[in-house]
Amino acid sequence: MSDLLATSAATWRDPALDPPLLPPQLAQTPPSDAPASEQLRAMRDRHRLRRERAERVYADSRSPARGWPVADDRTVVRFVVAMIGQRRWSFTALVVLNALAAAAALAVPRLLGELIDRVTAPGPAAGLGSMAMVIVAVVVAQTAFTFAGQLTSTLFGQNLLASMREYVVETILRLPLSRVEGASTGDLVTRVTRDVGTMSRAVQYALPMAVITLLTVVLSVVAMLLNSVLLALPGLLVIAASVVQVRRYLRRASICYIAEGATYSRINTTLTETVEGARTVEALGMAERRVRAEEDDIEVSAQAERYGLTLRNLLFAVIDIAFNLPRVITVVVGAWGYWNGYLTLGQITAAVLYVEAVSGPLDRLVAQVDRLQVGAASTARLLGIATVPPDRDPGTAVPASPELVGEDLRFAYRPGHDVLHGVDLRPVVGERIAVVGPSGSGKSTLGRLLAGINGPRTGSVRIGGVDLITLPLEHLREEVALVTQEHHVFIGSVRDNIVLGRETADDEAVWAALDAVGSADWVRRLPDGLDTQVGSGNLALTPAQAQQIAMARLVIADPHTLVLDEATSLIDPRTARTLEGSVHALLVGRTVIAIAHRLHTAHDADRVAVVIDGRIVEFGSHDELVAQDGEYAALWRAWTS
Amino acid sequence: MHNFPPAVSVFHTLPGETPTPTPDLRSPSRFLLWLMRQQAPVIASATLVGILWQMPMTVGPWLVGRAVDRGILANSTEALLQWTGLLLVVTIIGAVFGIAMHTLVVRSWLIALYGTVSMVTRKAVQLGHVLPRRTPTGEVLSVASSDSDEFGGLTEVVARALSQFVAYLTVAAIVLLTSPTLGLMVLAAAPVLVGVALPLLRPLHSRQQTERTRNSTLTSMATDIVAGLRILRGIGGESTFGRNYARQSQLTRQAGVSAGVWQAAIEAVGVLLSGCFLVLLMYAGTRAVDSGELTVGELVSFLGYGLFMVGPIRTFFEFAQKLTRALVSAKKAVAVLELTPPWRQPTDPVSLPHDGDLVDESSGFVARPGKLTVVVSAVPESSAALADRLGRWFTVEEEPPPLLETTGRRWGRQARAERRERRELMAARDAARAAEPWGVTYGGVDLGTVPLDDVRRTILVSDSNSRLFAGTLQDAVDPHHQLTREQAEEALRTAAAEDVYDALPGGWAGELDEQGRGLSGGQRQRVVLARALAADPRVLVLVEPTSAVDAHTEARIAERLAEHRRGKTTVVTTVSPLWLHHADHVVLLSGGRVVAEGRHEELLTDDPDYRDVVVRTMEDVGV
Repeated sequence: MSDLLATSAATWRDPALDPPLLPPQLAQTPPSDAPASEQLRAMRDRHRLRRERAERVYADSRSPARGWPVADDRTVVRFVVAMIGQRRWSFTALVVLNALAAAAALAVPRLLGELIDRVTAPGPAAGLGSMAMVIVAVVVAQTAFTFAGQLTSTLFGQNLLASMREYVVETILRLPLSRVEGASTGDLVTRVTRDVGTMSRAVQYALPMAVITLLTVVLSVVAMLLNSVLLALPGLLVIAASVVQVRRYLRRASICYIAEGATYSRINTTLTETVEGARTVEALGMAERRVRAEEDDIEVSAQAERYGLTLRNLLFAVIDIAFNLPRVITVVVGAWGYWNGYLTLGQITAAVLYVEAVSGPLDRLVAQVDRLQVGAASTARLLGIATVPPDRDPGTAVPASPELVGEDLRFAYRPGHDVLHGVDLRPVVGERIAVVGPSGSGKSTLGRLLAGINGPRTGSVRIGGVDLITLPLEHLREEVALVTQEHHVFIGSVRDNIVLGRETADDEAVWAALDAVGSADWVRRLPDGLDTQVGSGNLALTPAQAQQIAMARLVIADPHTLVLDEATSLIDPRTARTLEGSVHALLVGRTVIAIAHRLHTAHDADRVAVVIDGRIVEFGSHDELVAQDGEYAALWRAWTS
Repeated sequence: MHNFPPAVSVFHTLPGETPTPTPDLRSPSRFLLWLMRQQAPVIASATLVGILWQMPMTVGPWLVGRAVDRGILANSTEALLQWTGLLLVVTIIGAVFGIAMHTLVVRSWLIALYGTVSMVTRKAVQLGHVLPRRTPTGEVLSVASSDSDEFGGLTEVVARALSQFVAYLTVAAIVLLTSPTLGLMVLAAAPVLVGVALPLLRPLHSRQQTERTRNSTLTSMATDIVAGLRILRGIGGESTFGRNYARQSQLTRQAGVSAGVWQAAIEAVGVLLSGCFLVLLMYAGTRAVDSGELTVGELVSFLGYGLFMVGPIRTFFEFAQKLTRALVSAKKAVAVLELTPPWRQPTDPVSLPHDGDLVDESSGFVARPGKLTVVVSAVPESSAALADRLGRWFTVEEEPPPLLETTGRRWGRQARAERRERRELMAARDAARAAEPWGVTYGGVDLGTVPLDDVRRTILVSDSNSRLFAGTLQDAVDPHHQLTREQAEEALRTAAAEDVYDALPGGWAGELDEQGRGLSGGQRQRVVLARALAADPRVLVLVEPTSAVDAHTEARIAERLAEHRRGKTTVVTTVSPLWLHHADHVVLLSGGRVVAEGRHEELLTDDPDYRDVVVRTMEDVGV
């Protein structure tokens, strides 16, 4: 065996030389008596450094070193547009109704201005009452349109969201088997929780709200121009001038918020580790280390927050002026227009009310676009799941017999590093073969090849003459199943938990399977029998019951060949007694390849393959191998004497 | 605590730190008050700054009215410029102080949020393994992840509500001085406008609650699918669980839509009422102008104020809501922060001798100095309990009841009181146990008479629940940064964990995910073992250190470990025969007592009970 620690000297670091958590420019600020120019320069430096940090986090989230891929922006836009396209009519209703509501709202200041004009007209004011009634009618119409508009926007948002999240789960359920078996699921968990949550907020509220506020802003501009071009133009120009800064903000803000979000999940992860590992922390005297880790996380998070704070303040500096200045300008221009007879007092009043009313929607629009961008980043991570290429190219050939043959199997996880070096294995149908060997010898890889999860680099695994890797997944499952130590109980009914392998199975078949593994009795005693809800948050099953459920699944699926990885872990020693019968029922009549941890599996098998360094070095029955007096015999003696 | 992140050093003070004040935990409201007081200067300045920030809204309309009356209608350029000039100044003041206000409220929010996270972290390390005996870990984590945000939200709304209150009074003064009737109308309308929506809020909130519940079920279903994905893709069941998810997704959608109906109703009612109020105000105003009681400019400013008043009133309601929520959060935070460790510093602390027998009185177990003792038992729990006693650990027997459950109303109070009582009982029991002699001696000294830190430094118990933390492999094996590379390599080799090194890109610098996820169970177990070996304690107690490891590797570990720990006291509990050859001494535990001991070979031939246990474990495991 080569020295696995060969690179140790190169990768070991001296912790004393670790770089500080924050660069010095961020950790310290110049003394308060330093000249203003220096303070300002330091501030700009800090802002730039924080931006670079946020951009790095964002870049990492877009192309994670580990974990699943992320889709690009164009894919997200295409996807959302297609999704909206499917709801063309409800989207149209959303736009039309909300436009009507906004238009009605905008008519009110105009009519108020009209009232003012009547009051200021010389002589006693006429028709004030009827004028008021008109405004009431407009208000009532606005109410009706608002209700209908809000309702359509809820319906639209909720329907869109439901389709999107269901699509995401569908794509997860289509992920290639080899990737699922190989990768850690932590990243996927984050995506279905945090990213779906972020996407939900964007789709449910931000998207309809953005559409509505955009409509309001556009119609306000129209209304202002209709009221008086002269009064509207100067104010609008000032507002338009702020667009440059708003765009600069929007370009950076979503990156900033994604980086901020990452620092908070970091804080939570560290605390979760500390709390759940409380005993380990205490045992190893790691309290100080854990507290410092949390404080470091908070320090990093505070930097991300400061970046966001500065970004927003730079935005507010511009828009607070740009959105409020038009009021001043309107009064001044109004006075000039009024004195010269171009404008009425009513028009000025309406214009003042308009400029006061437009700043709210403008603020909201910026906020919604912010949320949409953050939501889009999460959506990109969710759609990335769909970009994982399929790992099988199913053919049409049907296996002629249940005979499993593995020939000249080589396999590498990293190019040039074969973990198997030309392994041959031909189990007789119905035979039980145990594969033993030290960790890292390649025995688990062999199991995955024999179960058809990965295709070998060279050679082939065939069942009845058909290459496993060309079998469609649903056919593969009828032939061979890989059983790992997991006995996950899904949230759902007992029935749902058992029919996995044959979703068309009727209750009779389910009971037969439960009977076979010896679970029928306790399932019958459950409050709702097969319909009893189990899994996280529902009725909790004992470990032994969970194992029986896992075995009943396999009985129903009924593959003729089983590859049991770490088979002994599937059967916890503490519950072994009660499960012996169940295991027997499951294994009888099937070809079994057991990747064994415990030597008793080997002892009970028909033949034993000893795998060391990617090769089968000994192969034969238990007695033959003991007689050979090799590797296996030595281990066996150590075990039994 | 005037800037973020705040310096917090309570419950567990690190070397070089000055302790910060202990929170007032006598009641949730006192706790909130304490939180506010900690950063009173920040909140006070935010309030003052907030008043200036509101100026364009409070005095703006009045200035516009003046500009209309004195400037436009009076045909005076000078007056126009004077009043609009003032308006410009006010606008700029508003913008400048808007930035200051934002900076201050973010600051106060984050001081509360980060401060809470720090307090929870330090409470967790102060309690150590006692924490999960007192409260479910989920409750601890939610104080840091969500309740802390409520506290932040409260500080923000306090500053905003105070400054809006001043704004409200200012506007009230302006409008009442201008026209008592119209002024009263403006003042009275605002609470009415906000109050009318209140009856609609209850049905809305109950529907939002349904939506949230369904949504969290939906999220757990998605997590569940991901957790069982290997099974779903390996054995099948995609359509069953895809369908279940879709069904729940539709239920969630329906709940969302029905909440949306009420939301739309509230919006529409708001539009209707404020619209009608504006018409009324306008109608009355125009009549007043017509009869000469009011100037046109004053009417224009009234229009501006008509809807402004809704803002402060909304803020007051928001304040009431957030205060209620913050009180619930404070209750949860107090429940966690008020927990205290059961340990008392011994009155006459002695220190542990350098060497000696480790003796457990209740079972009669003795570990001789410098020897490898293997404990065998037919019931693994009883060897685990022995190991816990040897290291002065409490054994987990029962989960603590959750303190706060939101379900149920009438009987909820009683159930809560019962759960509280049960928790207090458990705490009292632990404290009593910690006060009496522990019943385990090392070199003749009872562990209960020694400072706990001394025990932890001397006796390391690595149980089957030992965790890894996110970080590099080097940090995992050498968390205290005290090893040489050679020592670390040695630990890794002894634990037969070289393949973990090889599998991680970057070797020692290879990153482990949180809690070592991404490693197989066997790999995790071997890294944990390497870490325990590297710590090199005087007494090392290992509970089932190779339960997830294959026989080949287990044999290798047993052999290397015996060599590595030669001359140092080591106790291993296991059911695997591969360890027994390497033991200096084997102990058979039954019914909580030592029933046989000696060398493995002797026991195997002489003791039928021993043979039974060892041989039976062998048979049991067979497939």
